[in-house]
Amino acid sequence: MKHTVDVNIPLGPVHPCFKEPARVKCETKGERIIAAEVELGYMKKGIERIMKGRPWQEVMFLAERVCGICSVIHNMVFIEAIEQVSGIAVPPRAAYLRVVANELDRMQSHLLANFSYCYTIEHETLGMYLLDLREKVMDVIERLTGARVTCAYIIPGGVRFDIGAQDEAFLRESLARIEDDLTRYTGMFESGPMIALRSRGIGILTKEAAMQAHAVGPTARASGISVDRRTEHPTYRQLGFEPVVRTECDNYARIMVRFGEVFQSIRLIRACLDNLPEGVIRGGGTCTAGETRYSGEAPRGELTYIIRTDDYGRVIDIQIQTPSIMNIEACCHVMIIGVDSVADVTSTFVSADPCIACTER
Amino acid sequence: MSILQTIKDKVRSRSIHVSYVDLGSCNGCDIEVLACLAPRYDIEQYGIYVHNNPREADVLIVIGAYTPGWQEKLTPLWEKIPDPKAAIAVGNCPISGCCFNRRGAYIDPPVSKHIPVAAEVPGCPPRPTEILAAILSVRDAVFANWEGRQR
Repeated sequence: MKHTVDVNIPLGPVHPCFKEPARVKCETKGERIIAAEVELGYMKKGIERIMKGRPWQEVMFLAERVCGICSVIHNMVFIEAIEQVSGIAVPPRAAYLRVVANELDRMQSHLLANFSYCYTIEHETLGMYLLDLREKVMDVIERLTGARVTCAYIIPGGVRFDIGAQDEAFLRESLARIEDDLTRYTGMFESGPMIALRSRGIGILTKEAAMQAHAVGPTARASGISVDRRTEHPTYRQLGFEPVVRTECDNYARIMVRFGEVFQSIRLIRACLDNLPEGVIRGGGTCTAGETRYSGEAPRGELTYIIRTDDYGRVIDIQIQTPSIMNIEACCHVMIIGVDSVADVTSTFVSADPCIACTER
Repeated sequence: MSILQTIKDKVRSRSIHVSYVDLGSCNGCDIEVLACLAPRYDIEQYGIYVHNNPREADVLIVIGAYTPGWQEKLTPLWEKIPDPKAAIAVGNCPISGCCFNRRGAYIDPPVSKHIPVAAEVPGCPPRPTEILAAILSVRDAVFANWEGRQR
């Protein structure tokens, strides 16, 4: 069949709906999208090149700055890879505190992603509610780790700060308030008729297509694939972790999976605080030579670090595989194709929660 | 100063449209700029609107350390913004390159080499209140009596 295109519409790199620069080129026929292509390359800084040959004390901070939104998980995966290389054991109290920090980070990341989606579909009221809720989470993170973003909380052999009785009470109180508010906002999202018009049945990514595109994280879980690296993490196993899975495969399902995961994070943090063991938060150890591949579950999906270190704990070789690139590919090859209007392209793209900073590094 | 100028100054000081552009940062400053929109900081109470459309912007917030992908794009973007205009560099990256400014990185800081920067907010990342204070300080320095100073 002859390939006819009415208009070629470029979106971006500076676009009202995108937080970060990316360019989506859509080939349209009428209002229907028949093909799309994502052009990246606006954020490439070459972090992996800078990391090579540097001691872990420096690489730790660079790893955190791969992505500012999900900085705690980058920190955690890099440090746990270093620990696996060197055989450093983590005190149980520190392992639980790591989960608390990581889940708080996941909560703020998911709330930001859902805010972006609500903002894109022009439901600004709900978006602002969610952004205000995110500020409450940021307060807790600041109280626990000392910084809002890029807090460098996790270090080899433990964590930097202990949680005091006052901080724990504040954390519990904040969680109760966040859970109350979020229940209301989730109800608004579920029952809103205008939201349903813009979300349900749009941007379909079937289970087969998701498997073919290697979609990860909430995008895969919204397509009915039960995949989550946290099921293999020892601390999460002790807490009895089960992934949140939905089977609707559309934009609505992806947002609802994120809401579900925020509730799950609240439950996990409560379980951590209830079972928090006594003891030290920093053990000893020496970073040594070795090579390993270690994966963790970032808010956007599976994050892998492949590192090789020398006898002094310097990183000789490092490769980072971030989750967003798979979701962006799934988005532009499957989800966007066939949506009924150009307005749905941005909302579908945002629903996959693309993070360009960690895609290009 | 004429009455017309006084009215213009008053209107401009309460209606600032902001566009932000990420030239290759870690995203941390990006989300702190977004956090300014939150009801807690409430950027709109000062008449500041974030539209992210350069053609109707007064203030361009620049985040990130200037990657090669922006070489042919940043200056045209800056020229699209109508006068009077000002650029604010948010975070350490546009000022010095922060921790990315090492041998082997694909960045070219500072951004003031490429476009004129009116204010700089250091921090990795700065707090939303600091970003808000920078926008408000630029308002008085750049937009007051702009036509008078042009003559």
